[in-house]
Amino acid sequence: MNGRPQELAPGETVASLLARLGLEGGYALVERNGEPVERARYAEVELADSDKIIVARPVAGG
Amino acid sequence: MHDTLTIAGREFGSRLFLGTGKYESFETMRAAVLASRAEIVTVAVRRIDFDQRGEDITSFLPDEVLLLPNTSGCETAEEAVRMAKLARAGGLPDWVKLEVIPDPRYLLPDPVETLLAAAELVEDGFTVLPYVLPDPVLAKKLEEVGCATVMPLAAPIGSGRGLKLRDSIRIVVEQAEVPVVVDAGLGAPSHAAESMEMGASAVLVNTAIARAEDPVSMANAFRLAVDAGRTAFRAGVMEEEREAVPSSPAGGRV
Repeated sequence: MNGRPQELAPGETVASLLARLGLEGGYALVERNGEPVERARYAEVELADSDKIIVARPVAGG
Repeated sequence: MHDTLTIAGREFGSRLFLGTGKYESFETMRAAVLASRAEIVTVAVRRIDFDQRGEDITSFLPDEVLLLPNTSGCETAEEAVRMAKLARAGGLPDWVKLEVIPDPRYLLPDPVETLLAAAELVEDGFTVLPYVLPDPVLAKKLEEVGCATVMPLAAPIGSGRGLKLRDSIRIVVEQAEVPVVVDAGLGAPSHAAESMEMGASAVLVNTAIARAEDPVSMANAFRLAVDAGRTAFRAGVMEEEREAVPSSPAGGRV
C-alpha cells in the first residue's frame, strides 16, 4: 500500500482496512491495481496479498 | 437583477474561486475562504503519507463550498485522467480543474495533453475546467470538446505578476461562449478587478491571499475587487481618448 507492505486481516475489505488505519471519515481515495475503487463498493471489495493499493486524499492546493 | 455565474448549469453567487495551498494553517485557510465568500474551492490530490498524516483539509472547509479537485502533479493526459477518476470514485465531485504541467520552472500547462485529457474526461461525464495559456484557438477547441469553462493564466502560478498576458486573455474573453476564469499569477486585488472589467466571468486566487500578511483581510479585499470589477464591466467602462477632454465647461470663465 502506497509502496509499502501492509498486513491484511482475514477477509479484509477496502472499508475494513481504511477503518483500521483511522481513515473511515473524510475522503480516502483508493486505487487497486491501477483501477479506482468506487466509494460505494469499499465494503464489498476484498483485498488480496498481491494487490497494489494506493490511498490518496485531498490536500491543500491551488 | 441577479448576476449569477452559471457553470455547467449550476449557479454561483460568487465570482471568486479560492485555492487552498500555502496557508500557514488550515484555520487561517478556512477563515480566508469564509471572508472571500468563495463558493468554489480547489484542492489537490496526493498519496497519504502514513508517517506524517496531518489533518484532513476537507474538515476545515465550509460544507456549502464546491470542492474542485485539481490534477496538479500530472505531466501527461493519461496521468490527469487517472487522477480525476480516482477523485471521483472516492466521492469527490465529478468536477475537475484540469492541469497538465510538465514544466517545473514556469509551471506552464501542456496544451496538447490538456486538450486530449479534456476530451476524454468530458466523454466520461466530468465537468472539466481546464487550466491553459490564454491561446484563443486552444480555448475554442476546449470549448468544442465540451469543457465547462476555460481558465487562462494571467502570469506564472504563484508569481503575483498580474495580467502579463492581458491582450491574449482579452481575445479569449471576447470569443468565448463558456465562462472564462482568469487563474494564476494575480498578485493584488487590482489585478482581479482589471480581469473582471475586461469581461472575465470569474478569477481564481491562491497565493496572493495565502501569502498576504493578513490573509483574511486580503480575501475580503479580493472579494470587493471582484465585485467592483464585475460591476464596472456591467456598467460599461468608458472608451479611452488619446487627448484630454475637459470635464468643466470651456466657456463662461470668470
